[in-house]
Amino acid sequence: MKFSLNWIRQYTDLPSGLTLSQLAHDLTMRTVEVEGAVNPAADLEQIVAAEILAVDPHPKADRLSVCSVNIGRPDPVTIVCGGINLAVGQTVAVALPGSKVRWHGEGEPVEIKAAKLRGVSSHGMICASSELSLEALFLASDEREIMDLRGMEAKPGQPLAEVLDLDDLILEIDNKSMTNRPDLWGHYGMARELAAIYQTALRPLPVLEVPADTPAFPVAIDSPDHCSRYAAVVYQGLRNGESPYWLRLTLWKVGIRPLSCLVDITNYVMLATGQPTHGFDRRAVRREIRVRTARDQEKLLLLDGHRLELDPDDLVICDAEKPMALAGIMGGRDDGLLPETEEMILELANFNPLTVRRSARRHGIRTEAGNRNEKGIDAARMDQAMGVADQLIRRLMPEAAVAAYTDCVARQPEHPVIEVSLRFLATRLGREITSADISRSLEPLGFSIETRQSGNDTIFLCHVPAWRATGDVSLPEDILEEVARMIGYENFTLIPPAVTLEKAISQRDAETDRAIREYLAFHAGFQEIYTYPWIDDFYIEAAGIQLSECLELATPPSPSAGHLRASLIPGLLQAVAENERYLETFRMFEAAQVFQHGETHPSDSEEALPLQTLQLGLAMAGDDPVRLFRQVKGVLEQMPRIVQVEPWSFARQQQPAWADHKAWLNLLSEDGQIIGSFGLLSARAARAADIRHSLTALAELNLDALRPLPSRENRYQRLPQFPQVEQDLSIVIDSGVAWQSIADLIAGLVRRSEFIEEYHGAQVPEGKKSLMFRVWLGSDEGTLTAEAVEAKMKKILKMIRQTLGGEIRQAGQ
Amino acid sequence: MKEQLQTMRNACLAALSSAADKAELEQIRLRYLGKKGELTAILKTLGSLTPEERRETGQLANQVKTEITDALEHRADELINEMSVIEGDLDLTIPGLKPDSGALHPITQICYDLNDAFRSLGFEIFSEDDISSERYAFDYLNFPPDHPARESMDTYWLKGSEHESGPERLCLRPHLTGASVRYLKAHGAPARLVYPGRAYRNESVDARHERAFYQYEALIVDRDLPFATGQLLIRTILEKVFGKAVDIRMRAGFFPFVEPGFEIDMKCQVCGGKGCRVCKQVGWIEVMPGGTPHPNVLKAAGLDPSVWSGFYINIGLDRLVMMRTGVDDVRLFRSADLRFLSQFR
Repeated sequence: MKFSLNWIRQYTDLPSGLTLSQLAHDLTMRTVEVEGAVNPAADLEQIVAAEILAVDPHPKADRLSVCSVNIGRPDPVTIVCGGINLAVGQTVAVALPGSKVRWHGEGEPVEIKAAKLRGVSSHGMICASSELSLEALFLASDEREIMDLRGMEAKPGQPLAEVLDLDDLILEIDNKSMTNRPDLWGHYGMARELAAIYQTALRPLPVLEVPADTPAFPVAIDSPDHCSRYAAVVYQGLRNGESPYWLRLTLWKVGIRPLSCLVDITNYVMLATGQPTHGFDRRAVRREIRVRTARDQEKLLLLDGHRLELDPDDLVICDAEKPMALAGIMGGRDDGLLPETEEMILELANFNPLTVRRSARRHGIRTEAGNRNEKGIDAARMDQAMGVADQLIRRLMPEAAVAAYTDCVARQPEHPVIEVSLRFLATRLGREITSADISRSLEPLGFSIETRQSGNDTIFLCHVPAWRATGDVSLPEDILEEVARMIGYENFTLIPPAVTLEKAISQRDAETDRAIREYLAFHAGFQEIYTYPWIDDFYIEAAGIQLSECLELATPPSPSAGHLRASLIPGLLQAVAENERYLETFRMFEAAQVFQHGETHPSDSEEALPLQTLQLGLAMAGDDPVRLFRQVKGVLEQMPRIVQVEPWSFARQQQPAWADHKAWLNLLSEDGQIIGSFGLLSARAARAADIRHSLTALAELNLDALRPLPSRENRYQRLPQFPQVEQDLSIVIDSGVAWQSIADLIAGLVRRSEFIEEYHGAQVPEGKKSLMFRVWLGSDEGTLTAEAVEAKMKKILKMIRQTLGGEIRQAGQ
Repeated sequence: MKEQLQTMRNACLAALSSAADKAELEQIRLRYLGKKGELTAILKTLGSLTPEERRETGQLANQVKTEITDALEHRADELINEMSVIEGDLDLTIPGLKPDSGALHPITQICYDLNDAFRSLGFEIFSEDDISSERYAFDYLNFPPDHPARESMDTYWLKGSEHESGPERLCLRPHLTGASVRYLKAHGAPARLVYPGRAYRNESVDARHERAFYQYEALIVDRDLPFATGQLLIRTILEKVFGKAVDIRMRAGFFPFVEPGFEIDMKCQVCGGKGCRVCKQVGWIEVMPGGTPHPNVLKAAGLDPSVWSGFYINIGLDRLVMMRTGVDDVRLFRSADLRFLSQFR
């Protein structure tokens, strides 16, 4: 909303010497953020009033005239002009060289220069109102019509801004920042706030006085829940038409387009008090005004041409026959004010803000009135609005009189009183405070305060002013806020909290989560990624997951991404597909929650949330499948020890839908639960995910299932007393024999054994593989002799040959 | 004989001083000191001399031998000192071989930095599930029943629950604040905690707006905590992120779950508060909301608002990383584009 500082000054005298930046700062710190401020006069530098002394045809152009113009200098100047309404003696606006105008009322302002137009020198420009962005104030019926200052007191050469009385400061306040302060939605409310900040006096508003014998107009409120009070003031003897310049200017400066005098009056009242009003043409209203909910499928044609189909949740203002307005939002076209209106029913009403908000939202209509009525305006504001309206109508139309008047009150407003103690305020504010401080903060805002002594504490009974009593201020904490902001938040300095040391924080789950991410990033070379929780169905299906397993959003971010992830694999597939365009080998991981149907009750039994598990997903892209498999396996083998969680084991129990049938393993917890899987991406899934170039290894692990060790676990093993002997072995064995079965077989004969490599191919017979590994031999009694080593090696080879059928290929050192 | 010794000595020392490597040194040693070496040969002829000559010449020969031995050692040391394992030239400008290393997501990085700072102040780290209910996302946080944020235009409701209400209407959480009620219900007060995490809002996406974002929220609850204590939380965050104390100001702000509520501004780090394009000439940049938990929120968490008070702050990490690192498109954070992510270490 825009606020005119001149308008505010009608209600309170701001301190002399108050600068704009100080005012903006004070209001921003204490009340609402000032987003900007402009002076409407600023754009009109070097633009002056001028008198046309002579108009002659241009010698070379039919559509141009050559004018001799008095711009307040000893000699007149010549200006070439295309205006169609030029006349000798006319007062016009002249843009002198150096000023800026919007060419033909369009685009950015451009600078005016003295120039020759078709051979005739022109010293400036006679302006149309649109060229000065004043078209809303000075209507033009043709775009070639120049702005006529008839009726304005103007001396030639006088700055136009002065003639038009434009000097003002317009503050821009974001509506959103005022949603909780319905009292600020008018100039009087803002003046009250500034008067409180600067401790200046606030002038009272006029009051409507109706003679006791004034007849009533029939008004009925059928829905007191939706409307607590409705006043109808019937005026006669009106004359509608164009408003006087000062009223048009006042509205125009705060961004409201002047329309006709009666409409301008209703807008003025709203911008002054924050109370929307509406005028009905008396002749269009049949017999009575009735405030009721709409009937199903009832129709209403609005002022803006919208044709509404109403429903019983809408509140409407009706006469004896039909709806005339959507309550608090917009009037109807058929009953509104017309140029010839002589009798008007002025509506002032207090509506339930929820009713207004719901109707406005349902029908998608946003209006200045609706914006205010949905905020919760106090019913007492109607009295202010009636007073301001009445004064204005009488000022503009001296023959006007109140012909009938009804003030129908369906529900009395509440008058909340908040009890708050001095000790509470002092403790929570964290500073010494006196009763006088509290009065000084609250009373200018309209609170009245009674004090009562209770032991050695003082109790304040704070009567909340009507304009703050519609939900804004209702608790001791609200009083605290009012006091604190009036003292000024900048006047409170940090109060460090007192410390009690009981025990160190131990959060093994959070620590483990971090240890895993850091292990992957810093030890294992993985890049952490974030993806969205919703995922394109394409990748869910590619991962072999049924869409029915996934939760769904009511309003999906995009039509094909309405399902929430039940696994991190689909997101990783998408990430691999997108990155393989730029990179050949890469590793990435994500740790995030996944969602499945089910029920959990994390905080209370009434609330049932779906299953939500913190998962870890890994993806590695490369070109050598066995190597990829061993790499991802190695990352997972090392992980529990490095991140200090209970170890897991590998087994084949349940094949992941995305996995190559040969290359996958499950991860089992110590009690045998499957807590994760890893493997190579199957050719089917790769094709389905449109991964064309890379081979991919994937892993998924349920992080919630990990059990962090309570403290770091390491176990010392004595170093061997006597040197151990290393022996490399290479055997040819059936291709299906697992390395682990060999390692297990010889475990009792060696200190330790280690896989080196295996080979399938031309060098070994069909169905066989060559396997190379290393063993360490040693003894606690002494260094092994060459004979003892040889004997052990023979034993090992015999065992392998007899049990698994392997043949020596060669025995190295 | 003496002249012969002198000549040999000079020749040997000359050879030594120009010897280029260990092998050449060894050759020289053999030539003079070896079993068949020249000096050895001379020494063998000493027997044929008179005792007086033998004594003199013997002394000289020993002196020459010591001299040669020392020179050999000296030259060997010199050669070691001159030696390099590099054959030929080494181009020192060739880039180093980098260790295989990945990185944490830039938002995780800043999140961990903040966690470290808050843990040093005795705060716990807490987390809540991504899917919450209207009860914890709105009702318990004092959002009025008709608050626009409850609409599906703002919040991602789960299909099938969108027409329910309260504990039965489920959503991707639109903010983290609900987690505070869950924590306080479970652990009571006093409490100091941070609860970073993901939040989601139904928005149109562009370079400045995301539907999924990462927030960092901290809460302190204690007996009668004055609101000015909240400055500790604000300063902790900004100092960690910017590496120095940053001027802040707290001004009036309205949010349903706090009373009083604040908008918290920091002095513009680009212009130092003088006013520039970044801060829209104001000198201050709005960085986070904060405030004292509303009494209704404390009540929902089972705490008596006449006893307990506290302070919340909530900051969006996406925007903070953008401010700190110059990222100009918020969508990059969830792009999984490794070319982007690997820039952050």
